Amino acid sequence: MYAYDKYDHALVNARVEEFRDQVNRRVKGELTEEEFRPLRLMNGLYLQLHAYMLRVAVPYGTLNGTQMRKLAHIARKYDKGYGHFTTRQNIQYNWPKLSETPDILQELADVEMHAIQTSGNCIRNVTTDQFAGATADEVADPRPYAELIRQWSTFHPEFSFLPRKFKIAITGADIDRAAVKWHDIGLVVKKNDAGEIGFEVLVGGGMGRTPVIAKTIRDFLPEKDLLSYLEAILRVYNEQGRRDNKYKARIKILVDALGADEYARQTEEEWQKIKDQPIDFPAEEAARIKAYFAPPPLQVLSDDVPAVDELAKKNFLFAAWLQNNTNQHKVPGHVNVTISLKPHGGIPGDATAEQMDLVAALADEYSQGELRISHEQNLILPHVAKKDLPAIWTDLDEAGLGIPNAGLLTDIIACPGLDYCSLANARSIPLAQQLGKRFDDFKRLQDIGPLKIKISGCINSCGHHHAGHIGILGVDRKGEENYQLLLGGSGAEDASKAAILGPGFDENGIIDAVEKVVAVYLGEREEGEEFLATYRRVGPQVFKEAVYDAR
Amino acid sequence: MTLVNLTGIQAGDFSLLADDHSPEEGAAVAVPLSRLTDEGDDFFKVAGPVGAVLTTDTNHADLAPLMNKLAFVVVDFPAFGDGRGFSLAVRLRKDLGFKGEIRATGPVIPDQALFLLRAGFDTVEVADERAEAFKAALKRFDSFYQTDYTGQVSLAHARHKATEERKAS
Ligand code: HEM
Ligand code: SF4
Repeated sequence: MYAYDKYDHALVNARVEEFRDQVNRRVKGELTEEEFRPLRLMNGLYLQLHAYMLRVAVPYGTLNGTQMRKLAHIARKYDKGYGHFTTRQNIQYNWPKLSETPDILQELADVEMHAIQTSGNCIRNVTTDQFAGATADEVADPRPYAELIRQWSTFHPEFSFLPRKFKIAITGADIDRAAVKWHDIGLVVKKNDAGEIGFEVLVGGGMGRTPVIAKTIRDFLPEKDLLSYLEAILRVYNEQGRRDNKYKARIKILVDALGADEYARQTEEEWQKIKDQPIDFPAEEAARIKAYFAPPPLQVLSDDVPAVDELAKKNFLFAAWLQNNTNQHKVPGHVNVTISLKPHGGIPGDATAEQMDLVAALADEYSQGELRISHEQNLILPHVAKKDLPAIWTDLDEAGLGIPNAGLLTDIIACPGLDYCSLANARSIPLAQQLGKRFDDFKRLQDIGPLKIKISGCINSCGHHHAGHIGILGVDRKGEENYQLLLGGSGAEDASKAAILGPGFDENGIIDAVEKVVAVYLGEREEGEEFLATYRRVGPQVFKEAVYDAR
Repeated sequence: MTLVNLTGIQAGDFSLLADDHSPEEGAAVAVPLSRLTDEGDDFFKVAGPVGAVLTTDTNHADLAPLMNKLAFVVVDFPAFGDGRGFSLAVRLRKDLGFKGEIRATGPVIPDQALFLLRAGFDTVEVADERAEAFKAALKRFDSFYQTDYTGQVSLAHARHKATEERKAS
């Protein structure tokens, strides 16, 4: 993991002092709320329905046990004993007091964390594959690049007041777990024929009311040119992105207006002018940062662990957990463990301080002190020896964290919705809870197999419904909460936009509709075929008939 | 209003030329770009130092023909969140090689002081009661993660300066 040097420490500490000063000026009335707003937003502080909400960055979703314990401590001391892990690999606290936020930021700075650029119209926390550096299917660990981008984008003198927020995601694996095609900029680490590292660069992805899948503007950008090329993309956007209408201000709208080819051309033209300036990191800096992400010293072990097989034979829940919640590590005999934060009937992504402490302890004992947060709002122990799985699962299960549903129907993404959010049309969390109760049968879930449900309380799409195999969107119908059903989306390497199936439903109706969709899938699927593949093969009509004709 | 000097440049003392007025002989005047592009050589001969007042939506390419005639430039921010002003200053320094004073006017806020400086601004016109906050904000950070076009080199380079110098010698 990256560790701060004296410069990083100085910057983050100076930022805390700056924010303390800003909060003081606001409290004294020297800053109006309108003036304070962008400043607090640049420090992750939102005003929500009931209270302030603080969003803390977990850069590219990687953290250590000590940092997780600090997050637990903050939940206990400054909040109501829990935190919410988000789809952008961050954590949110829903009940901090304005006057205490500078203290929270100082506590974070003490463990090399911050809330910088977790909101506002700037370059946000870069996200990546939750298994980065620990998975068998990767070209290179994307996190050194994410860290280089983090530093470059922090307090950027030119790009801190963009037309709209700006999200960059990077993956180094064939399987895209970071939804790079749904981001303002998506980067895919690649190797060219000469074996050199570079990036495929995509621009203009985004959700919201105009869902767009990003387009490739460069097939292979050499590693050393990363930052100057990003600068060129951002300059074109900062100058030409729309500022007259907030809903048309994202880069996706500009890319659409200019055409991806023209966007690529303008980027290239600007890049040629700047690529030889010392904007890019020198090789020494890349090496310095990569050294922090050196593979942990794991021993090669056997993948055959009789004790694991025995427990799996005796205990169906463990067997399901083993299948769903573990992923092959690049070092034999090891796995990445996904700790599901999706208990049936619970709030997706929420964790209590006690749970965070437990996970931190498990990381220290079994996972080289390292943890990850996934964009699917789960926690990851990235470097676990297979032989330790029974002990880990037993500890997790006792704390309500042994839920074997990673990647299954109840591993739902849901935005905060009407329970917290002032923009919401409808509640999202209760819907996820209802679905958890309706499908509270692990044998059945196991039979249904991989299926991603994503729920947003309004068209802003914080719950990624456009990318859901099954997407649910809350709309307002004559003052009533109403839910639209969408099918066929994907956030992975085969990204696709989900399509609305037909008229919306009330809260009970939408749960029934999901059940019918699942029944059609079970009837139509071929041997070993997953939900999305079946939907793509048979098309929406059969689903439509089943969902609407029976009404 | 107070003028905060970010770079220590010799700040210009000029006034905004009213729309229907001609410049007095030798007077330092700031003139909206839309008017300047229509003015002929006579205008520049009569006036003293001439500067252009730019809106943030100005395309930097439109400034190229004026480059050797302008003594200073004023970028007028309609709102502090209009980040185009920063790119405009960058363009002036980087693409147009402009060496004169670049001034920011409009509702920019103290917390932008360093961003303004690093984008290429020399001076900012601010409400009197804000001058101190602006000056304090300038001292907030002393190292930076980006190379900019004012000569600041990124930490990524600064961290290895010793090595780079060794290699060069
Ligand atoms: C409750 C307060 C929240 C508010 C008011 C809010 C507001 C918004 C708005 C207005 C957008 C659309 C932006 C645009 O298209 O320009 C958006 C997008 C988004 N938000 Fe939120 N959000 C909230 C909470 C969250 C949370 C908790 C998460 C993560 C769990 C989240 C993740 C996202 C994501 C991933 C997008 C989609 C970005 C895209 O369009 O590509 N938001 N949010
Ligand atoms: S999708 Fe809408 S309701 Fe949900 S959090 Fe975002 S803005 Fe709020």
